[in-house]
This record gives sequence, structure tokens and C-alpha cells, in this order.
Amino acid sequence: MNNLPELITIQNVQKSISNRMVLDIDELVVYQSECVVVHGPNGSGKSTLLKILAGLMTPDSGVATTNGAARPWRQAIREFRAHAVYLHQTPYLFDRSVEGNIAYGLRFRNRSRADLFSEVQRAMEWAGLNHLAKRNARDLSGGEKQRVALTRARILKPKLLLLDEPTAAMDRNSRMQTFSLIRDLASGGNAVYIATHEAADLYQPDRVIQLDYGKLVT
Amino acid sequence: MDGLIGASAEALRLLFTGDREIWEIVAISFSVSFRAILYIVPLAILSAFALAYGNFPGRRALITVVNSLVALPAVVVGLLLYMFLSSSGPFGGWRLLFTQGAMIIGQMILAFPLLVAMIHVSLQGVDLSAWQTARTLGANIFRAMFTIMREVRFGLIAAIVAGFGRVVSEVGCSIMVGGNILHHTRNIPTAIALETSKGEFEQGIALGAVLITLALALNFAVATVRGRDMARH
Repeated sequence: MNNLPELITIQNVQKSISNRMVLDIDELVVYQSECVVVHGPNGSGKSTLLKILAGLMTPDSGVATTNGAARPWRQAIREFRAHAVYLHQTPYLFDRSVEGNIAYGLRFRNRSRADLFSEVQRAMEWAGLNHLAKRNARDLSGGEKQRVALTRARILKPKLLLLDEPTAAMDRNSRMQTFSLIRDLASGGNAVYIATHEAADLYQPDRVIQLDYGKLVT
Repeated sequence: MDGLIGASAEALRLLFTGDREIWEIVAISFSVSFRAILYIVPLAILSAFALAYGNFPGRRALITVVNSLVALPAVVVGLLLYMFLSSSGPFGGWRLLFTQGAMIIGQMILAFPLLVAMIHVSLQGVDLSAWQTARTLGANIFRAMFTIMREVRFGLIAAIVAGFGRVVSEVGCSIMVGGNILHHTRNIPTAIALETSKGEFEQGIALGAVLITLALALNFAVATVRGRDMARH
């Protein structure tokens, strides 16, 4: 057990795709500010778990508890999804500049132009992206794209950041830079869930959970 | 041959001297088709999104139906619409038959499957992760749609241009539900059909030249936007 406050608890969550059970979790408690590595072989349900927590996928059944109240899934997740950001293994960057991509989510949060500009500048500085600000995000390398995607998520200050294989198919330098940014994110007060094949130690997680055939085994 | 040359010369004279009747027909054509596209595009976009990202039973069958309806004969739409709008039809009370309103409805029906099919193809070119990214970054459904529409803007423009090209040149539906009434519902294709049947080719050639110029311009526009899109990716 963990002494940190609970962010969300999911119970009896099941998800089938094409008549195959891909996720079957009795209970999972997500704590605030913890860094968790989700391990498991291909097809074990890692991405499904993360997408369900992000509200991008709806389970066939399940209950979610937020703020101490257990509620039907759709009702609970409708509120919670505003606090969770999911990053794809291959991040999708919109056909616009790097700073346009980073500012994307902030535009929905009623910021003044000046505030938005200064927040984007600070975020780009954090990720070392200032020199790429005006470049079209589609033209960047894989590592740079991942940094843009991480920065775009971080700027929203989500309570839960869900990273799906964030360093897959990256060269060594890009991986090291990405690890460093993720560790920085994890120490910044967000809960971070990372689905990965990599050695968990690389992320210095608070705990590791193992998925096998959609079930939590640790 | 001399007759053709003479008719063509007269057609050019009619066009460039600003013949009122000809330019009125052109204006009706553009006005009707422009409004038809304007009214139907939002519904076509919503339908294409539903087909691309929706998860409902019968989705694949619906995609097949829409793709099949792309080649829907204009005259069949005209016939069905005529039956619905004629005084003995279920919507006869609306008194729409032989009005621009009826022509607009007919052209909306004709353009709809083409628009949906083309926009759907464009949306399929965008990974599902684009939609999920927009949603996870806080966009509501409509803002996510606008984001994706921006991503597929060249495909969207191509679809709209193609849809306009389809309806502005159709004759079967317009002549049946519009009635080809001068100053009211006579558009370019119906006027060409009428003038040709009378053996008066000058006006037909002049209007045909406008239609061909328009078709070339539209095709050039589509090729340009597609070229830009391909150059980008």
C-alpha cells in the first residue's frame, strides 16, 4: 500500500475487443504524484489500460472512484479525463508549428494571449525546443517529436500522465533526453504511468505493475 | 462547319457583350449550386466523421451504401423528388416544385454521397491517434472535429470543389424539379438542353463555354490543393 492520496481507483474493469478479453482488472489504485511502470508483453493490455484511464476507451464494465465516491464509469471518467493526458507510442503532432502544437491544449483553458505565449515559451525552454519553435512539427525527428508531445502534455499540468512506450524506436541520445524529461515530470507532482518494454529502473519508478493477458499479476 | 464557327463567334459576342439573359442564367446556376453545397456540407462532414470514427452497428454497410450512391443518376433523384413535391405527393403542400428551393434540395441530395465519401476517405488518411490526441488534450467533440478538419483541409476543399462541380453541371434533376423557367429556375445545363433542342446553338455554346471554363478551373483548383497536400506529406 501507498501513503499518497488516491487519485482514482478502478474496480472490476473488463474490456473485450473482437470477443477477446484484453483487460480484466479487479482493482487498481492510482495515487497522486507516483511514477508507475506498467510492464507486460505485447498484447498484455498495457495500452488498453492507459487509454481507459485517459477516458479514450470505455470498458465493457467497471466502476471508478474519484474524490471518495464510487460512480458508474462514464460519469466518473467524464470529470476525470480533464486531469489525464495520454501520449501515444508514436505521438501525433498536428500540422502546425512546434509552438502551435504546444499551445494546443492551453487554448481550451481561457488563457489570455500574453499568458499563453509566456507559458509556451517557458515550456519550450524546459524541453530545449526554443530553436524549433517556428518549425512545422511534422518535420522533426522522432526524438524531437516525442519531446514536443511531452511538453504539450506537461504544459496542461495533468494530475495523471499516461505514456505509452515513450522511447520506442528512438536512438540512444533521444532516449536519454526523453528519460530525463520523464523523470523530471514524475518528480513534479504529476502521477506518471509508463507502459514500456524497457527496464523499469530507467524511469526510477515508485512501483512496477505487471500485466499478463489483461490481468494484473503484481 | 461554317454554322459551328458562326455560332461560336456569336456565343463569344453574347458572353463578352454582357448579354443579360446569359449572365442571369449563369448567376442562377451559381446561386443554386452554391447554396446547395453550403447547406449540405455541414451534414456531410458530420456523417463522414461518424463513419470514420463512430462505433455503431452497420457502419461498414453504410460506408458501402454511401460509396454506391456517389454515382446516383441525377434524373432518378429528380424523379423521386418530383413525386414527393408534386401536389399529390407527401410534401406537395410545401409548394416547392418548380422553384429554386426544389433545385437546391435535389442538388443537396446529389452532392451528399459524393461529399461524404470524399471527406470520409480524407479522414481515413488521418490516424485515429489524431482524434485521440485532440480529445486527451482537452478538446471537446466539436473542437476535436475542427482540429481534424484542419488536418485534412486539402481533402476537404477537394471534396467541396468536386461536389460543386457535380451539381452545377447536372441537368436531370434541375429540369425535372426546377421546370427550366426563365428568370427563375433556368440554369446553365437546363438552358443548354433547351437551346439545343430548339436548334439555337449560340446561347448553348456560350453557356457551355462558361461550364467548361468552370470545370477546368475547378479541376485545376483540386489538382493544386492535392498537389500541395502530397508535397507536405
